[in-house]
Amino acid sequence: MNRVLFSEVQEGLELPGIEIDVSTGLIIATAIASRDYQNVHHDRDQAIALGSKDIFMNILTTNGLVGRLVTDWTGPGGELKRVNIRLGVPNYAGDKMLLSGTVKSKRIERGENLIDVDVIGRNSMGNHVTGTVVVALPN
Amino acid sequence: MLEQQELERRLQRCIGVVVGPVKSWDPVNQPMIRHWCDAMGDRNPLYTNTDFAATTRHAGTVAPATMIQAWTMTGYTGSAAPGSQGLPEGCDSHYALLTEGGFESVVAVNCDQVYLQAVKPGDELYQTSMLEAVSERKQTALGEGYFTTELYNFFNQLDEKVTEMRFRLLRFNPPSTSGEA
Repeated sequence: MNRVLFSEVQEGLELPGIEIDVSTGLIIATAIASRDYQNVHHDRDQAIALGSKDIFMNILTTNGLVGRLVTDWTGPGGELKRVNIRLGVPNYAGDKMLLSGTVKSKRIERGENLIDVDVIGRNSMGNHVTGTVVVALPN
Repeated sequence: MLEQQELERRLQRCIGVVVGPVKSWDPVNQPMIRHWCDAMGDRNPLYTNTDFAATTRHAGTVAPATMIQAWTMTGYTGSAAPGSQGLPEGCDSHYALLTEGGFESVVAVNCDQVYLQAVKPGDELYQTSMLEAVSERKQTALGEGYFTTELYNFFNQLDEKVTEMRFRLLRFNPPSTSGEA
């Protein structure tokens, strides 16, 4: 189990990346776990009829995976304070996404040890997601 | 179809109108947390390992912060949980207005969540939302449209705000359908 401490973290540090196999199964399992039943996240025929190439990952899942990238690194001591993402190209079934993060800055605010992490999730078409995560770490 | 001036006038009147509360169907609970973590591949023991979590500052498991929306989603049938309220009477839905104006297509642009407090099993959550801003009509790579910013606030049973979320969407009219009808 990881236990990253605030004092150990340096600006510019690269987090261990996560490769996500964006399978049909993953898209559906995560859509249902997030209680998002929009047809474009589980019904290929309807997704195609609506102009998509295939079913694609829902936003709640992208958000969840971005949070996971950071807490996988910090371990359970890390507390998410903010996940601010910008969405790009869709994560269509059959693609792969590489999520990576870099420590942009560290600061102490209202007694909390905060780390700002820049995050990018790239698939075969380009950036699926870019953003910033703020996480609080123990001393 | 709504003319531009009329559409924009009515959209402006939607700004600041609070929609809700939309209540969660179920209290925050361990089985739904486990399903989420299983699907996301998230093995953080703070979410699912009760023995471990009891030894932490939270003195028990917490829900993943990013799971917040899952609690108040209406579900497959789209029906709201008992005690929920929709738009106040006499108010337009900005979503419906944009559809009526021909801006039927939608793409999410930004999602910004700020976590103010941990969400724990047993918490009973509800959400309110409001339209915060509408852009001018813009020409984008996808077509002509409007950017809308909605503010969602999530509260627990003590009416303490646990999460604040800003969600920005582009509602647009793809070029292939422009000028039809």
